[in-house]
Amino acid sequence: MPNFELNTTISSLRSLRESDLRAYDAIYLGNIYCRTFEDNLLERLDDLRQAVAEVKDRGLRAYVTSYGAPRNDALPKVQKALEAAASAGADAIEVHNLGVLRMVHEQFPGMPVHVGGFANVYTDAGASVLKEYGAVRFTPNYEISLDEVTAIAESASLPAEILVHGKMPLGISDYCFLLEYEHKWAEKCPTVCQKNLFLRQGDWAMKSVGKGVLSGKDVCMLEHLPALLSAGHRMFRIEAAYETAAYRSSIAEIYRAALEQTAAGDGAVNELSWHTVRQHTAVGLCNGFYFGRTGGEYVGSQGEAAEVCWVGTR
Amino acid sequence: MPYPQGAANTGGAKPSAALLAPAGSLEAAEQAFGAGADAVYAGLKGWSRGGARGELDRDELRQCVELARRLGGEVQLALNIIPRAPERERLLKELSEAAAWGLGAVIVNDVGLLRDIRRELPLLAITMSIGCGALNADDVLFYQDLGASAVVLPGYLEPREIAAIKARSSIAVEVMLHMVEEFIQLGKCWMPSYCHFAAAERIQPPTRLAGSMKRGGVGTCFRICQQPWTLLLDGAQVDQRVLPSRQISRVAELGEFLDAGVDVVKIQGRSLSAEMVGTITGRYRAALDACKGGGQVESGEAALPAMWTVQGR
Repeated sequence: MPNFELNTTISSLRSLRESDLRAYDAIYLGNIYCRTFEDNLLERLDDLRQAVAEVKDRGLRAYVTSYGAPRNDALPKVQKALEAAASAGADAIEVHNLGVLRMVHEQFPGMPVHVGGFANVYTDAGASVLKEYGAVRFTPNYEISLDEVTAIAESASLPAEILVHGKMPLGISDYCFLLEYEHKWAEKCPTVCQKNLFLRQGDWAMKSVGKGVLSGKDVCMLEHLPALLSAGHRMFRIEAAYETAAYRSSIAEIYRAALEQTAAGDGAVNELSWHTVRQHTAVGLCNGFYFGRTGGEYVGSQGEAAEVCWVGTR
Repeated sequence: MPYPQGAANTGGAKPSAALLAPAGSLEAAEQAFGAGADAVYAGLKGWSRGGARGELDRDELRQCVELARRLGGEVQLALNIIPRAPERERLLKELSEAAAWGLGAVIVNDVGLLRDIRRELPLLAITMSIGCGALNADDVLFYQDLGASAVVLPGYLEPREIAAIKARSSIAVEVMLHMVEEFIQLGKCWMPSYCHFAAAERIQPPTRLAGSMKRGGVGTCFRICQQPWTLLLDGAQVDQRVLPSRQISRVAELGEFLDAGVDVVKIQGRSLSAEMVGTITGRYRAALDACKGGGQVESGEAALPAMWTVQGR
């Protein structure tokens, strides 16, 4: 049976402690979008050290992420977070910003680097350059197809991490427009971005998280796991930074079971799993750009689930 | 680009900077040089972000380079989409030919392409596009290490940030002081392709994809952020809005940016009309000259005609 890794993202110590993570192999710690996100592990370094220890105590690998688009004033904090991660025994650092990549490469030369989705890896040539800076895996830019991802990974001899489920990042901002609503709503920063907020235009929907925009639909590659494994991919991410603990655990259990079954030769997904997946989506499913199509489309047997329903919008 | 060296000044004069204007057409290049641009940047058809609305074909590019040479200026070539592996060789061949005409620099958007060009054309200056998303000093050092000659930074950075970057790096810093700041940072947006992504060519597999600014070249990102969206909270409508954006024109703060050490003042807008390019370039030229002479930028210089704003772009 091939070894695979299932991982996810957790932004705060409270979320970590609330989450049943038994179906995961590794956890990314920290919120990449906003320095003022509630109890962001990248800002609360005692919490970060504790989180690394608790993840490892659970027998999982602890990765520490870093900001998606830091300006100069954030770099001292990034530096301290890197130091905290290294001293706490983090297994890798995820970088989205190439300046931060340079910092890790220069100051923590033995630290494995995972290149994140905002680093814009579109080509094998780009991946090869980042490999020279210590990258041991990369999350491809979300716009490229699975065929391209596979070709890049092979050509650059650098494994790809594939977002298999969850809301796909669509952009990052320097400005939180949700602050404009603080005077109207009961909810304020730093928790307003965790509310159930969607932007809708006709049949299209995107989830707003203040300084970031995510896909409204959940990327779902459940029925395509056999193709992912046969293409040689082994590292899979469930993007759940803005999801509930129930989402985090339920979806992971389904994927772990499906991956183990697929590896054992049975790629069928049972109806109960699909039912759970549908329960945890607000506006439907999509495959992202993996099949070379519009990111919000779904290719596969679950076309009905891909339809916008707006039922049970969480 | 012949970056002005003017850090040591006397009599209240500011350090100098080159003025880089957009040229979406030969007419725009003529207007820009006529209004005082030191250099223009132009896209080569099929290879630049922003696409056909502001690209030159090979003949036009060659004429633009000749025009610049006659006028004592330079042309930077924007090749700021990210080519797929199969088309990279063709792009490098086209660039090699264009470089021989006397390009001042090439603008790119990908570290892989940076590496390839540095290897193939070691003498050609390479500028990292604003689409690379560089924001901090370590970003600039990263590109400096890889052999870039310059990095373009967004105009919403503050002069103190530019000064901090300049203090740690030795390559040229270009700042796009006249630009539209959209909600999502340039180079970090996949909203359009999430909503609509389509082949823009009939060949298979398509290489130009409408909706992707990284693989664009067809002139559209659909401006999904500037269309009205309904904001829902717990499923209920709480607002109808476009995502925030604003026109930045920091001409009134030019002196502070010059003091910070900016090497090149860049103006966004290959899609602008030739006349508008001339008008905006002229305003920045006047402001630069005023600073150079130790004078102040007139407060009225900061006022923008409505047609320069996001809605009129």
